[in-house]
Amino acid sequence: MLHIEVFVFNLNKDYFCSSMKVVYQSTYYTLYQSESQRCFYVDFVQKTVQMSFCQLLALRHKVLSIPIEDHFDSDLNKHGFELLQLCNKEHLFILNTLEVLDLKSLVEQGFVLLGVSAKSEALSV
Amino acid sequence: MKDIARQAMSIKVESMDLLNSQIKMEAHASATYLAMASWCEQNGFFTSAKFFFKQAEEEREHMMKIFNFLIDAGGSPYSPEVTNINHDYSSIVDVFEHTLDHEIAVTKSIHNIVMKARELGDLTTERFLDWFVMEQVEEENTIRDILDMIAVTGTEGVGLQVIDDHVGNWIN
Repeated sequence: MLHIEVFVFNLNKDYFCSSMKVVYQSTYYTLYQSESQRCFYVDFVQKTVQMSFCQLLALRHKVLSIPIEDHFDSDLNKHGFELLQLCNKEHLFILNTLEVLDLKSLVEQGFVLLGVSAKSEALSV
Repeated sequence: MKDIARQAMSIKVESMDLLNSQIKMEAHASATYLAMASWCEQNGFFTSAKFFFKQAEEEREHMMKIFNFLIDAGGSPYSPEVTNINHDYSSIVDVFEHTLDHEIAVTKSIHNIVMKARELGDLTTERFLDWFVMEQVEEENTIRDILDMIAVTGTEGVGLQVIDDHVGNWIN
């Protein structure tokens, strides 16, 4: 039984790797596109999250809406952390300043490479 | 690489961001006109109040037009948060002067999105906004005409009552 589970896991892993294409890799995170599943994956190191395009848009909105300036003012953001809820509260991430900056870079560059953003510098949302 | 993202959305994300800002602006305009209607009711300008109730509805329709366009284009429209609505005006002239300023700000914002869409090569958004460009000409003209009527009538004596009655000419 265990043998079968390991086999299935390896099969899925091989399938995952063969059908995934890296869109953009930042320092901490990687954005993948799955052509066969017509969806996206974001590798957050701790876990990989599957996302539809709408969910990817929601991620972009949430990440770009984070006021990063507040991280440099102890009155506005005392501990320098952000809580990020994704995919209808299915996932929860706690990010530090560097991770937020890196995630902002991932979504900005990722959308440019996906062909739906014209420039790397995102407009205010 | 397949264009899965492009297959899901017909416009550029930058256009989507700007249209979401416009949704917010139209919602703010709708709430502002509602505040003006309230002021008019409280100060005895009942016809002007009706005018502003109608303007508030129109602005909401504009907002919904953009909201539905974003849905049709595969984007994500965001329900706007409306704050900082002014309820204080010194006179009925002040109300209409603020209205014209507001309409000019909306026109500028629409023009800015058209120019950005053109810069991005986003023809879908640019063509969608054609209707708004012409609508703003009409909106500004209406308020200019009312301010001209106020200038001709004057605010002395029964002037204010006459002004309020005449505003009814611009309620379709």
